[in-house]
Amino acid sequence: MTIKNRAGLWFVIPGIIWVLCFTLFPLLYSLALSFTDKRMGRRNRPGEWIGVQNYSDIFADNRVSEVLEMTLFVIIGGVLVTIVLGTFIAWLFNHDIPGLRAFRAILTLPIFAAPIALGQLGMILFNEQSGPVNHLITGLGGEPVYWLTEPWAARFAVLIVDAWQWTPFVFIIVLAAMQSIPDELYEAARLDTANAWTLFRRITLPLIAPALGTITMLRMVETFKILDIPYTLTGGGPGVSTQTYSYYIYLTGLRNFDMGYASALAYLLVIVAIIITSIFFWRVRARYEVQ
Amino acid sequence: MKRLIVLILVLALVIPTGSILVTAQGDDPFEGMTPEELFPTAIDDQERQSAMEALLAANLPDARDRFEGQTLTIGVLASGTRGVISGAPYFWRNAFEAVTGAKLEIIEIPFEQMLTTLTVDFSTNQNTYDAIINASWFYGDYISNDWIIPIDDYIGAEGYPMWEPEKVAAPLQQLLKWGDSWYGVVNDGDTQMFYYRRDILEDPEWQAAYEEETGEPMPVPPQTWQQMLKVAQFFNGKDWNGDGDPDDGVSLHLKVGGQGFFHYMALSAPFSITPAEGGDPTAVTKYDNIYWFDPDDMTPVINSPGHVAALEFLQQLAATGSPSQFGWELGEAWDNFLNGNAVMLYSWGDVGSLAQDPNASTIKGKLGGSRILCSEDWYDRETGEFVHNAENSNCVGNLVGASWHGVISSASDVPDLAYYFLAMQAAPPILFWNVVYGWTGVDPSSTPHLFPPAGEASVDDYVAAGYDAGDVESYITGYGDNLFTFPTSQTYLRIPGTPEYWNILDIRLAEAMIGELSAQEALDEVASEWEDITDDIGRDYLLPIYQESIGYAPSE
Repeated sequence: MTIKNRAGLWFVIPGIIWVLCFTLFPLLYSLALSFTDKRMGRRNRPGEWIGVQNYSDIFADNRVSEVLEMTLFVIIGGVLVTIVLGTFIAWLFNHDIPGLRAFRAILTLPIFAAPIALGQLGMILFNEQSGPVNHLITGLGGEPVYWLTEPWAARFAVLIVDAWQWTPFVFIIVLAAMQSIPDELYEAARLDTANAWTLFRRITLPLIAPALGTITMLRMVETFKILDIPYTLTGGGPGVSTQTYSYYIYLTGLRNFDMGYASALAYLLVIVAIIITSIFFWRVRARYEVQ
Repeated sequence: MKRLIVLILVLALVIPTGSILVTAQGDDPFEGMTPEELFPTAIDDQERQSAMEALLAANLPDARDRFEGQTLTIGVLASGTRGVISGAPYFWRNAFEAVTGAKLEIIEIPFEQMLTTLTVDFSTNQNTYDAIINASWFYGDYISNDWIIPIDDYIGAEGYPMWEPEKVAAPLQQLLKWGDSWYGVVNDGDTQMFYYRRDILEDPEWQAAYEEETGEPMPVPPQTWQQMLKVAQFFNGKDWNGDGDPDDGVSLHLKVGGQGFFHYMALSAPFSITPAEGGDPTAVTKYDNIYWFDPDDMTPVINSPGHVAALEFLQQLAATGSPSQFGWELGEAWDNFLNGNAVMLYSWGDVGSLAQDPNASTIKGKLGGSRILCSEDWYDRETGEFVHNAENSNCVGNLVGASWHGVISSASDVPDLAYYFLAMQAAPPILFWNVVYGWTGVDPSSTPHLFPPAGEASVDDYVAAGYDAGDVESYITGYGDNLFTFPTSQTYLRIPGTPEYWNILDIRLAEAMIGELSAQEALDEVASEWEDITDDIGRDYLLPIYQESIGYAPSE
């Protein structure tokens, strides 16, 4: 090892220690926990080895099937809404609009808000009696919606707040992708058609597809973890209708202190996330290697 | 010589007296401190002066020589410097620091996070807190892990503020003890009672309208849940407050996580609990005074026909209030009643004192209160049959709530100081002050807070603090009746895993209330999941703890 390399090693060591302590150790510790019956605060459950019992219990757990319904709803709905809406707004902003920069800055503000704060704000907005959303609906002649009281309305409320936070993220990435498309392509295409929809479908969409793919993957993984918004906005209710899979992990581990089972639930989430990302990268690699 | 003797006598008299005076001035821990310095969070002179009087009346022993320089860290419900439960420690902090020379650190913990925070803290030996103003359902975990210490040796010991354990209402004493040992120092008494709009229910015009519509005179106030339902159905949808909009019969809070399940407990108790026959109606047998589990094998009785009937009743009652109450938490239901939009409500004692606060209430001078309601129908588990008796309804008292009170951590380095602080909060003049000033969230708990014959307080005591005489007479009488006039009181769940059991109950109740599950389905689901929890924690481990916690002696 050269002196230069040795000096470099010293710079790398803090990073290695960090990864070992705060990434690898918790990862391995929670993996080990997932094979035990460890319950915090229970003397009769000190953490004995029970093999894959926790993992097999997941498939017999009614609550898991209940929370998966909401989780899938928010994944599919959240990803779809944010991508469609973010792409549409990016397309609008990809034109010469006066004050574009100011609008763009304002639009990105929700990204910087903590999800907890957005959930609290959502509570005010969706308040069934005094919230501005219901005031708007009744002002337009509609019936008030019981946003936090009816299961499906509450699910949509969570979805709307999630979309509110993440649409700007999609908007920024897609806008950057759109702006990297050479104008010549549009100019050449306009000689054949003046139809904006055709231009979007034939030129814009194929060229922003890689960005959309990345966003889809990131959003799916992110939405799988959603906890803060339903926690603050609906408390998981009414009933359990807005409890997500991550919410259930939180309740199992830090409310019921069943650390072994919570770890197993979390590892299942990790496995699913790994499968999603693997499929994504496999698809991307296959596509671009062929091209 | 004579002069010398006289001089010596004079000196003998003067010097000690003078030294006593000097010592007394030097020993006064509050010397030189103004009420403004002692009570910086007081909002007006009346509050400040009355607190000063309470502080001096408490006759706190000067403990600076023992505690000077020490630091006491307490954990308390997060609600701010003038919020419920946390407000009182902040309010008395300067006085405590003056009398002990110690420093008081107050750490606020959000309600939702409280048990999580404390369990993680104890389990990982962080031991942040010397004392905790805690909720009663934590005891199962505390005791089974030796996280808190008994305080029997401290009670009545010299050098500490004196409080009166024997004057604490008997059901509340049970919550402060485990077996025969005291663990908690009294602070807040959380019994649920019934509130109504005195001005509306006592209005002859409304009484006549009720009689005309229902064919029977209006019960004022209702004595049973069944009577209350009829009254709520009559008033719901009518503009009885004259604001031009239809108003509510009742105000409930049914959001999951919003403490609604405590209110189900209070309502369902007389539907599902039978007092013991014989001389002691409070005796716990296999069938009597049982609410949670069969005391012989921990089989849940939460889905017994009595419970199902109670939940079905609650569904009917909810239909007499705002549709929004399915999304309400505790405070929103209270606000609805305190703002004059609901004619009835049942909840903790806080409502009675909050009703007197013009910033929180429009119903001062219009409040009525009575003990929690009885049921004309109940299920007898021993015979397996429902009983209907409108004349002699089934009445069961309750203390279903947190009953926030102080306990001392077994890992504390300063347990003596911790006890001093808790005993100071429980010293009769200070505790009474906390009770009277409703913003503290400290509800009546002991006979000095209640009216005769069981209690010792008077209406004037409360009126002096700004209460309406009619309101407080009705409210405190009802509160006292709740603690002293029922033949029996609902047993409290104090076993390891209690929050887990209650979390399931909370979730399934909410599902039943929004119509996702029927009452029977919801409670069957609760029973099934409770069985899983029991097996998971360990039935053999839990059973003796449960039996001890409810005072059940299994037959040999």
